[in-house]
Amino acid sequence: MTEIHDRLNGHETGILHKRFKILFAIVAIALSLLALRMWYLQVIKAEELKQKSENNSIRVRKLQPLRGLIMDANRTVLVDNQCSFDILFVPNRTRDIQDVANKLTYLYAEESMTFPREVFNSGKVRLFVPVKLEKNISREKLAIVETHSLDLPGLTVDVASVRKYLGGEMEAHIIGYTGEVGPEELERDEAQTYTVGDVIGKSGIEKYLDSYLRGKNGVEQVEVNVLGKPVRVLGKINPESGYNVVLTIDSVLQKVAWDALGGQAGAVAAIDPRDGSVLVLVSSPSFDPTLFNGGISVDDWQKLSGDPYHPMENRAVSGQYPPGSTYKMIVAAAALQEGLITPDTAFNCDGSFTLGNRTFRCWQKHGHGRISLHRAIVESCDVYFYNVGKLIGVDKLAEYARAFGFGKPTGISLPREKSGLIPTKEWKLARFKQPWQPGETISISIGQGFDLVTPLQLASAYSTLANGGTLWRPRLIKQIEAADGRVLKTFEPEKKSSLPIRPKNIEVLKSALWGVVNEPGGTGRALQRKEADVAGKTGTSQVIGLPEDDKARKLKYIPSRYRDHALFVCFAPVRDPEIAVAVIVENAGHGGSAAAPVARKIVDAYFEGKKIPNRKPPLVISDRNTSTRNP
Amino acid sequence: MKFDRRLFVNFDWTLLFLVLAVSLIGLINIYSSGVNQAYSGQDFLYMKQVQWIIVGLVFMIMAFSIDYRLISRYAYLIYAFSILLLVVVFFYGYATRGSQRWILVGGFTFQPSELVKLTLILVLARYFDDHRIHKAYRLRELFIPVLIMLVPFLLILKQPDLGTALVLFIIFCSVTLFIGVQWKSLTWAALTGLLLIPMGWYFLKDYQKERIMTFFNPDSDPLGAGYHVIQSIIAIGSGGFVGKGFLKGTQTQLRFLPERHTDFIFSVFAEEWGFLGGIFLLVMFMALILWGLKIALHSRDFNGTLISVGITALIFWEVFINIGMVLGMLPVVGIPLPFLSYGGSSMVILMISIGLLMNISMRRFILQP
Repeated sequence: MTEIHDRLNGHETGILHKRFKILFAIVAIALSLLALRMWYLQVIKAEELKQKSENNSIRVRKLQPLRGLIMDANRTVLVDNQCSFDILFVPNRTRDIQDVANKLTYLYAEESMTFPREVFNSGKVRLFVPVKLEKNISREKLAIVETHSLDLPGLTVDVASVRKYLGGEMEAHIIGYTGEVGPEELERDEAQTYTVGDVIGKSGIEKYLDSYLRGKNGVEQVEVNVLGKPVRVLGKINPESGYNVVLTIDSVLQKVAWDALGGQAGAVAAIDPRDGSVLVLVSSPSFDPTLFNGGISVDDWQKLSGDPYHPMENRAVSGQYPPGSTYKMIVAAAALQEGLITPDTAFNCDGSFTLGNRTFRCWQKHGHGRISLHRAIVESCDVYFYNVGKLIGVDKLAEYARAFGFGKPTGISLPREKSGLIPTKEWKLARFKQPWQPGETISISIGQGFDLVTPLQLASAYSTLANGGTLWRPRLIKQIEAADGRVLKTFEPEKKSSLPIRPKNIEVLKSALWGVVNEPGGTGRALQRKEADVAGKTGTSQVIGLPEDDKARKLKYIPSRYRDHALFVCFAPVRDPEIAVAVIVENAGHGGSAAAPVARKIVDAYFEGKKIPNRKPPLVISDRNTSTRNP
Repeated sequence: MKFDRRLFVNFDWTLLFLVLAVSLIGLINIYSSGVNQAYSGQDFLYMKQVQWIIVGLVFMIMAFSIDYRLISRYAYLIYAFSILLLVVVFFYGYATRGSQRWILVGGFTFQPSELVKLTLILVLARYFDDHRIHKAYRLRELFIPVLIMLVPFLLILKQPDLGTALVLFIIFCSVTLFIGVQWKSLTWAALTGLLLIPMGWYFLKDYQKERIMTFFNPDSDPLGAGYHVIQSIIAIGSGGFVGKGFLKGTQTQLRFLPERHTDFIFSVFAEEWGFLGGIFLLVMFMALILWGLKIALHSRDFNGTLISVGITALIFWEVFINIGMVLGMLPVVGIPLPFLSYGGSSMVILMISIGLLMNISMRRFILQP
C-alpha cells in the first residue's frame, strides 16, 4: 500500500506546486521575451525593415568563376575565356520593357547601329527577375549604354566571361561547347552542384571534365539604393577558377588533317601506338562552338540541326562505316592465327567467286590469277579473302575483330561514342529472326555487309597491330592542372588487352601492309615516302549494295550520297611505329585516291614536326567575336 | 481494456482544439510558403502536410487509447528500439545535404531522432518514478539517467544534427531539474560543463562553428550563415503591426527567405500576419504549454506528471528556440517549430505526444490506488 501511495501524487505535496509555479513563470518570461523582440522588430524597427524589403536593398550576386583552359599536348591553348557584355533589364521601379527597348533602339540608331528586338519577346515581365535584352554587345554599344544610364531605368550591364575557342570548328567535336544549365540538368543534379544561371559544359571535353573546368561560384552581397546602384559591398566570397586541362591532341596535326579534308564530309583519327594517345580527331563538317555561348539562337540551331551533313555529329567516334578492305587485315590475322592459312597459302582469282548460286566479284574484274597472302593484301584481292573468310566462318572472325577492339566502344572520354557492329550468327538470329546465310560471311570478309566500324576503332585496331599487339584505351586527356601549374590528376595510358596473335604472324601482316604502300601494284602508293617507312591499307566501303555486275558503277553519274566512302589506315615508321592514322572521306570513291592523300599530309607533317622541336602552332584560327575583347 | 464511460466524459477537448488550431495555422502557412514555388517542387507540400496531420491524428488516437501506465511498463523496450533505429541510421541511413538522419520505410523517409525525443521522456519518467527518493538528487544518483540521455545524444550529434541533440539535452535538464537536484551537485555540473565547452567546440563541424560565430557577430559573414537571419529579420520586421497579408509576403514569395517551409516557417507567418498574428500564435502556444503543465499538475501519479512535464518541456523549448532563432535572438540551430514546420516525422511524433497528454489528462479521475 505504501508503495502505491508512493507512486501517486498526494495533493499534500506542496513542493510540486511550488515547482509548477516556477515553471509557469519561466514559460511566461520566455514567451514575453519573444513578444518583446517581435514588438521591437515589427513595430519599432518596422519602417526601416519595410524599406529594406521593399527596395529589396540587399542583393546577392553570384560571381562567375573563370573556366579552366584547355590545352593541347604541346601546351598550346585551345580554349580561353573572354569578356562578354550583356544588357539586362531589371524590372524594379518600372516594368515597361518596351519603353526601354525603344529608347535603346533610338540611341543605337543615332550611331547607326541596330537593336535586335527579337531577343527578349518571350514571356511576361516579373518584378525583380532580370530579362536579357541583348547579349555580347560591342564596345560601341557598351559606351552608349554606360553614358545614358540615367535615361535607361532598370538597365544594367552584366559582364560575363564566355569561352573563346581558338581552334574554332576543327576542334569543336573534341572540345564541345558550354551553355547555361538547363532545367533537366538542374533536376538530375542531386548533389546540388549547379545553381540557376551557371555555365556548364554541354558536350565534348567541356562536358566530360565539367566538374574540373567549372571552378567554384563566388557570391557577393551588396546593398543597393532605390535606383538599384550598389552602395556598398556587405560581403564577398571570391570565385575559384576552374582547373586547366591538357589534352593529348597535337593541334598542328589537327589543323593539317582539317585542311586536308578541305570541307568534305569525313573523319580523321590518329593515335600514338606506343600508349594510345589520340593525336588527331577531326570530324568534318563541323560547327562554331562560339554560337552556343550564352545560348544559341533559334536560327542558328535550326541551321545546324537541319543540315543534311549533320555537322554536330562527331564522325570520328559516332560515325559508323563499313570498313571495306581495311578489314582484310583482321581476316588475315584470324586465319593465320587459327592455322587455316600460312603466308604461302594461295588461291586462284579469276575475278569472281561463286557460292551456291551467288557470284561475288573481285574489284579487279580480270582477276589476280594465283595469288598468295602477301600479294593478296598488297593488291587487295577480294577473291582471296572470300576464300579465307569461308574457311574461318563468321563467329571465329567476330572473335578476332573484337580482340582488335571492334564491336564495342573504345572508351575514349567523349560522349555519344558508338560501338560499331561485328555480326555473329547469334546476333542475326536475335536481330532479324533469321539464320545466318553463308553468303553473308563472304561479304563481311571484305568488310562489307553488316560490318560497321568507327574511324577511331579503325585507327586503334591498326595501332594495336603496329605496336605488336597491345590494345590501348584511346587517351584524349593527358592531365588536369591547377591554375598555378600544380598537377592534380594524370591520366595514365590504360592497357585494355593483348592481341591473341603470335609475333611471327604480326610481322607477316606488317610486311604485307608495308607492301601496300611501297611495292609495285600496291593500292596505297600515295603514301610512299622516300624513307619508305609507311605501312597501310586502303578501303572502299559501299554505301548501298550496287548491282553485282557493277553496271551502276560504270555510270557517269551516281548521286553523290550513294557514292562509296574512301578509307585509308596506316602507321609509321613501320619499325617502332609512332603514329597510326585512319581517314574516312564520305562519298569520295576509292580509298587509295581520295583518303590516302589526306593521310599522307598528316604523316608528312608528323615527321616534319619532329625535326623542329618547340614549333609554334598556327595563330588564332577562327574567332568570330573579335569585337568584344577584354577591356 | 474495457471501455469506461468516464474516459469519454473526461476527454480533453481543449487540448484537441488547441492542437488542431495550431496545425491549421501551420497548414495555411505552408501553403503560402510554397504557392509561388512551383519550380522548386514545394507548391504541393501543404497537401503532404495534410496527410501527415491525418496520420498523426490516427496515432494520437492510439496513443490515448492505451493506458499510459501500460505504455510506461514497456518504456525501456521502446527506448531500446528507438536507439536501435538510430544505430540503423548511423550505418544505413539516408543522407541529404551532408547529414545522415533518415531511414527509408516503404518509400517514406523517417527520422528516428524525432522518435527519440519522445522515448527519452518516457524512459526518464519511468526511471525517476522507479527510483524516487523524495529529496534532491545528487550527481552520482544521476549517473544512469545521464547515460540514458547521452547514448542517443551522441548518436544524433554524429549525424550531424546539432539541433535535435540539443533538444535531447534540454529535455533531460528540464525533467531532472523539475524533480530536483542538490545545489552543490548543480554547481559542480555547471562548472564541468563550462570546462567542456572548449572541448565541444573542437568537435563541432565547420558550418556549426560558423553559425555560432555569426550569431555573436552577424556582420562577419552576411552571405553564408548570416544571410538566413538577416533575411528572416527583414521578413518579420517588414510585416509590421498587421502584416502584409496572406500570400503577400515579398520576402517569402520572392524566395529571399531560405528554409521557408521548415526552420524559418515563423518568418513567413510573421511577415504575412504581422505582430498581431505573431502574438496570436504565441498566445496559442502559451495556452498549449500551460495546459500541458496543468495536466502534469493534476496527474494522479508521479509517472504521469513526469511524462507531461517532459512533453510540455519539449514543445516549450522547441517553440522558444525556433522563434528566438528566427527573431535573431539565438544562434541558428536546426530546430523545427512544433506543428508549423513541414515534416512528417516531427508532426507524427508531436501528435503522439499530445495523445499521451490526453491519455494522462482523461485518466486523472479513474486511477485507483
